[in-house]
Amino acid sequence: MKNRMLGVIDATTYHEDLEELTVHRSLAAVPFAGRYRLIDFVLSNMVNSDIESVAIFPKYQYRSLMDHLGSGKDWDLNRKRDGLFFFPSPLLDSPSKGIGSFNHFAANLDYFYRSKQEYALISNCFTIFNMDFRPVLDRHIMTGCDITVVRQDGHSLEMYLVKTSLLISLIENRNETGYTCMRDVVTDIHHSYMICNYEYTGLAVMIDSIENYFAASMGLLEPEAWKNIFKRRQPIYTKVKDEPPTRYMKGARAQNSMIANGCMIEGTVENSIISRGVKIGKGSVVKNCIILQKTQIGENCVLDSVILDKDVKVESGAKIEGKNEMPLVIRKGTVQGALMNS
Amino acid sequence: MGKKKCVAMLLAGGKGSRLSSLTKSLAKPAVPFGGKYRIIDFTLSNCTNSGIDTVGVLTQYQPLVLNSYIGIGSAWDLDRKNGGVTVLPPYSESSEVKWYTGTASAIYQNLNYLKQYDPEYILILSGDHIYKMNYELMLDYHIEKGADATISVIEVPWPEASRFGIMNTDEEMRVAEFEEKPAFPKNNLASMGIYIFNWSVLKEYLEMDDRNPESSHDFGKDIIPLMLDENKKLFAYPFNGYWKDVGTVKSLWEANMDLLDDECELNLFDHDWRIYSVNPNHPPQYISPEAEVAESLINEGCTIEGEVEKSVLFQGVLVGKNTVIRESVIMPDAVIGENVYIEKAIVPSGMSIPDGVVISASEQDDEIILITQEMIQGICS
Repeated sequence: MKNRMLGVIDATTYHEDLEELTVHRSLAAVPFAGRYRLIDFVLSNMVNSDIESVAIFPKYQYRSLMDHLGSGKDWDLNRKRDGLFFFPSPLLDSPSKGIGSFNHFAANLDYFYRSKQEYALISNCFTIFNMDFRPVLDRHIMTGCDITVVRQDGHSLEMYLVKTSLLISLIENRNETGYTCMRDVVTDIHHSYMICNYEYTGLAVMIDSIENYFAASMGLLEPEAWKNIFKRRQPIYTKVKDEPPTRYMKGARAQNSMIANGCMIEGTVENSIISRGVKIGKGSVVKNCIILQKTQIGENCVLDSVILDKDVKVESGAKIEGKNEMPLVIRKGTVQGALMNS
Repeated sequence: MGKKKCVAMLLAGGKGSRLSSLTKSLAKPAVPFGGKYRIIDFTLSNCTNSGIDTVGVLTQYQPLVLNSYIGIGSAWDLDRKNGGVTVLPPYSESSEVKWYTGTASAIYQNLNYLKQYDPEYILILSGDHIYKMNYELMLDYHIEKGADATISVIEVPWPEASRFGIMNTDEEMRVAEFEEKPAFPKNNLASMGIYIFNWSVLKEYLEMDDRNPESSHDFGKDIIPLMLDENKKLFAYPFNGYWKDVGTVKSLWEANMDLLDDECELNLFDHDWRIYSVNPNHPPQYISPEAEVAESLINEGCTIEGEVEKSVLFQGVLVGKNTVIRESVIMPDAVIGENVYIEKAIVPSGMSIPDGVVISASEQDDEIILITQEMIQGICS
């Protein structure tokens, strides 16, 4: 049977270690793999698992996230019944400790009351994975668990499956129980709930620092990892753009790279991930880099181990180098002159 | 339905028989072009970019792919409450089934569609050409000239003029004579098959034409000459820019190659005049460590492990190791094996080329090879 689960995405998380990329956007909207945002992975997984109603709880800087999601059409979630719901948190100064903050959910309890789906899948917004949640539900029902935690190698992936009615009672009774989030419930040893674990064996990376953002991105250049994330039958959806195919001009060279549409490449690209609408000028060499949307790189530049955020302009002749284990992050919309980093 | 100033009627029923096996199961306007698009995207995008929000698309030949591609028109922002895109197939009446027998009769059979919007002007388009054009400027010109009909024309090289419908005009650009494929052309202004009519005038002529059993019910052959005979005001609207009829395998290939030319006027990267299309959802293209890519246009969803030079690759194409692709067009989801050599060819959608196949045109021959299933079976047996 379809449509038995609600999808609940907690997009309130803020990682200080990712500050360079989250100054202008919420963590859920951090660009990844050339054309995606972090939230696309969990959201697509939910849609591919027959979830037809998804509630997103954002908090900080959610303009870019809302712009990205729109009506939910690109995920087939612009429905008359159910579909995509967006519940910005009214509590800006209460810091949340874990995924599935009951305080945030409480402000929109009506959504849970009105929904007819028997189960709810609560997830974080920053995991790179391509997973079918239906087997989790089947196991959950078969074993008669109260809460199923999705884990990998024993570590929680911060995804929880519960009956919607149990979730409602956890939210309603949060002041009496002292539980602030799902993690509080499962780590408490005094409760009477039956907690089960579901071990996920596919690739899953939780993005919480620049280092692992960079490593996870570069990891996708391995065909095995690539195939684990991009499956033809379980596509990762994202906001589509009307960009033309990427054009390689005279003198262009590309190797071991992932390149999105709308780029114009005249230089050399190696071991890099290039997002939509990027320009790389003649004679420039881009190595081990992540270049985000619409960034323009002039002629004869040398870039190595750098993450260039959106709309950065690199002037001709500039040389910017980071370290392999700790890439340099260039902030959105900045101009990098030829003499600034030499 | 609210009244509209101008309604576009897009003739998309063409069989495109010179495109051979490419149009066996789909209409010419649905033929893939430019690494991502279908031919009709250019006309539909021109409409939406020109502020025309009401478009009737007349389909007839092999309409399945085209109809599902157009859908409700959302890809071109043409899913509107009032107007938008409407697919108009031929239909049967109580007395007879009426196939579209000519361009003019196709419009005449959809009088009821046009009545809903009661337009002042009607723009007739065909879904067979690659070009970017602002129809609003043409409409302004039509109004300014006080014309009954305006025909968009483009200068063609003199030696080629005898292949086109040629407009002979005076200094004011008023059309004095129309000659279909003249042996001795007096002018080199070719009709682009784009017409604007005052709807009240056209309606009258369509009715007249319908009553004439001798007529072939065609705009170029019947309606325009009749209007000229009756001294109606017909003007030619000169268009400067890229325009190409991609009616043959060779011209389709050439137009694709034009996209790789820096000098080419057809700029797909112009954000002020985007070419919209249905966007299939594919991951970014993956260029492997062994791959070499030069002077090419490559879409998302491709995996390149071989060498690609001066070629256009559509979404979802796989190119195997040690394979060389030169000056070719590879349509969506084609799978090219390892150690393959392809030069100056078009590989149709979804085709699999087995390992080791070599396909190239002979030196003296400037023909483009359209690869077919039979050809592959012939090579591999």
